[in-house]
Amino acid sequence: MAPEAVLSLKGVSYTYPGSEFPALSQIDLNIRRGEIVLVTGPAGAGKTTLCLAASGILYHDYGGTLKGSIAILGKDIRDYPGMAGIGREVGVVFDDAEAQLIFSTVEEEVASGLENLGLSRDEMYRRFHTVMEATGISDLADRAPHTLSGGQKQRVAIAATLALGTGILILDEPTAELDAAATATITDLLLRLSEEGVTVLIVEQKLNDLARIAGRTILIEGGAVVKKRITKTVLGRPGDSFRPPVPSQESVTTPIISIRGLTHHYEGVAALKGVDLEITSGEIVAIIGENGSGKTTLIKHLNGLLRPTEGSVLVDGLDATSAPTAELARHVGLVFQNPDTMLFAETVGDEVAFGLENIDPGRLCAEKVDAALQEVGLLHRKAVYPRALSRGERQRLAVACVIAMKPRVIALDEPTTGLDAQESAEIMETLGRLRRDGHTIIMVSHDMHLVEDCADRIVEMKDGRIVPGKRTPEEGPCPRSCSMSPGRASFTASTRSPN
Amino acid sequence: MQYVTREGIFHRLHPLTKLIFVIVVVILAVLTSDTAMLAVLTGLVLAAAAVAGLARDLLRQVPLLIVLAASLLILTILISPDGVTLGYLVPAAVPVVGGIFPITAGAVDLALAMSLRFTAMIFAFQALVISTQPRDLVYVMDYLRVPVDYTLMFLIALRFIPSLQLEGRRISEAQLARAYNPGRGPVGKIRGLVPILVPLIVNSLSKATVLGLTIDLRGYRSGMRTPMRNLTPGRADIIGFCCIGLLITGYLALLVL
Repeated sequence: MAPEAVLSLKGVSYTYPGSEFPALSQIDLNIRRGEIVLVTGPAGAGKTTLCLAASGILYHDYGGTLKGSIAILGKDIRDYPGMAGIGREVGVVFDDAEAQLIFSTVEEEVASGLENLGLSRDEMYRRFHTVMEATGISDLADRAPHTLSGGQKQRVAIAATLALGTGILILDEPTAELDAAATATITDLLLRLSEEGVTVLIVEQKLNDLARIAGRTILIEGGAVVKKRITKTVLGRPGDSFRPPVPSQESVTTPIISIRGLTHHYEGVAALKGVDLEITSGEIVAIIGENGSGKTTLIKHLNGLLRPTEGSVLVDGLDATSAPTAELARHVGLVFQNPDTMLFAETVGDEVAFGLENIDPGRLCAEKVDAALQEVGLLHRKAVYPRALSRGERQRLAVACVIAMKPRVIALDEPTTGLDAQESAEIMETLGRLRRDGHTIIMVSHDMHLVEDCADRIVEMKDGRIVPGKRTPEEGPCPRSCSMSPGRASFTASTRSPN
Repeated sequence: MQYVTREGIFHRLHPLTKLIFVIVVVILAVLTSDTAMLAVLTGLVLAAAAVAGLARDLLRQVPLLIVLAASLLILTILISPDGVTLGYLVPAAVPVVGGIFPITAGAVDLALAMSLRFTAMIFAFQALVISTQPRDLVYVMDYLRVPVDYTLMFLIALRFIPSLQLEGRRISEAQLARAYNPGRGPVGKIRGLVPILVPLIVNSLSKATVLGLTIDLRGYRSGMRTPMRNLTPGRADIIGFCCIGLLITGYLALLVL
């Protein structure tokens, strides 16, 4: 181990309990004080396992077979008295932000770790306010964590870990659900911390911002380091091939969704404040906006999962303010951000058949199941247990479950969160084919690059409203902050002709 | 059942005062089977919650309490027939099985007493939970030298109730978006639960690992807990203890009378 290394892995291999194959193979990694190391790689490469190994969690909590040595601050992880001991030196942010939120208010959440350090009250307040401001969540202090958006939850989880003031940070996809502004905030913050001597190990698929601050970027595949000091071009980014085929001129003239004055209040918070939006048949519309701007709330109104406090929603000729969800589901398919919220069947085929059985009981058509699976490239996995699929495959299965029901509108909430570049590309290609087949696609995303590549029209939301003005993907990338002010950006609710 | 941010006298009370209040209510409820006294006790807890602006939150539990009371009534009818027969669970006019399971005054009285006892205890506990941040409860349990494992178990239990509700709602939404039909008839309804329960259990188990690790990493076993907020008892606590004293005095007076 190099003398200055604060985190060191030497010949580390790991096999999960019950598994025959190693998830990590011969990993050697020395990270110096104040260094930022970014680890990337495709889904299933072993990135999360590397985080768990480096933080001592695999040894102290998971069991399995761990070979090689892992040292934190020069001390072998086996010599630490469990995770409580390691927690004094290492802060860990897991990829599941929600599971890390224990308490009933954001203030309590961030203060919870501080209260266990034996600090004076003044020091606690100082650290608390510094972290809240640095992560941009000061205005959320009194909110209940479960009412926050995915990105806001992620920022709270990061803040709660940063508040501990550990010298080493291990972050598993910390910006996966963050919008561009929040990603930039966290990236700058990590850079500042590293300059103060904090060592950072980050696992992330979204390289653009983090590669800027990382001292080293390491690519792993199949549990082994395949390349050190990689450049962005090694991985590429989902890009030009996403541009879906042009729909016929006829298909882009018929309005299929009409929203007027839509307002929605949730537990005293105005999530939507008078939204007007019209979407024409055959469009791919991307809804973007900062975390908590009301994007998910808006699309849940399309199939009656939420009903407006005020306003009207017309979908494919149906009044979505009163029509039953079961009826609206025939017209609008909604693919949720996390496919695991819906997977329950024994096989992939049964999972797809569930929706078909619901809309047409007793008349299940096996060809429809096969066609939907074929569409997303999962026909060969028809007999597999759904939760045994990779994250990207599960996401495509969720799409298959919806398209099997042949809805005219398909809405997707953050369809590429947690997916690698290849998986994202596959999802986007699928959406392109669906649009060619006459479906209208609505996609909620905070990934500006993704929507620029594939959407016909971009609608920005901010504080529960659609930002006036107009913007089309051809107008180039949005400012990095993505805080497109009405005067600066040109957003539109009108349709452009894709070229 | 979880903390809600609100301004009210219960929120201003020191968590230890509220915990003592709950313990006193539980002891008083257990020590008597008199339905009138239990009804008064329940009424007083509800009145205290109303003063603190929490009555509406407590009354949300009424449907659950009605189910609980009905279950207790059936149970006492089956296992504790005592006193005057008021009727029969299966009407006497029904051939062959008519007249079995007599509903007696003793069984009804016992069911009523048990229901009121549970109501008083649940109301008091809920008033504590919705007016006290979990970290303050952890602090008080530490102060009372409760072993850290029990404190953390309590913390996780508190965290999991709303978390399960939220996850259940999310899963339900995902299935409704697939035109999910909860099913008809008892068998259909039970089978209809599968699409909700399977993801709920699998997802919750996967979250439990991260939750446990987070608690460890945030130093909850450090034994150095110091609250960031000032938790010194104030005037509200003096009033609270006076009310608890009056409650105990009144209770003992009624017992003697």
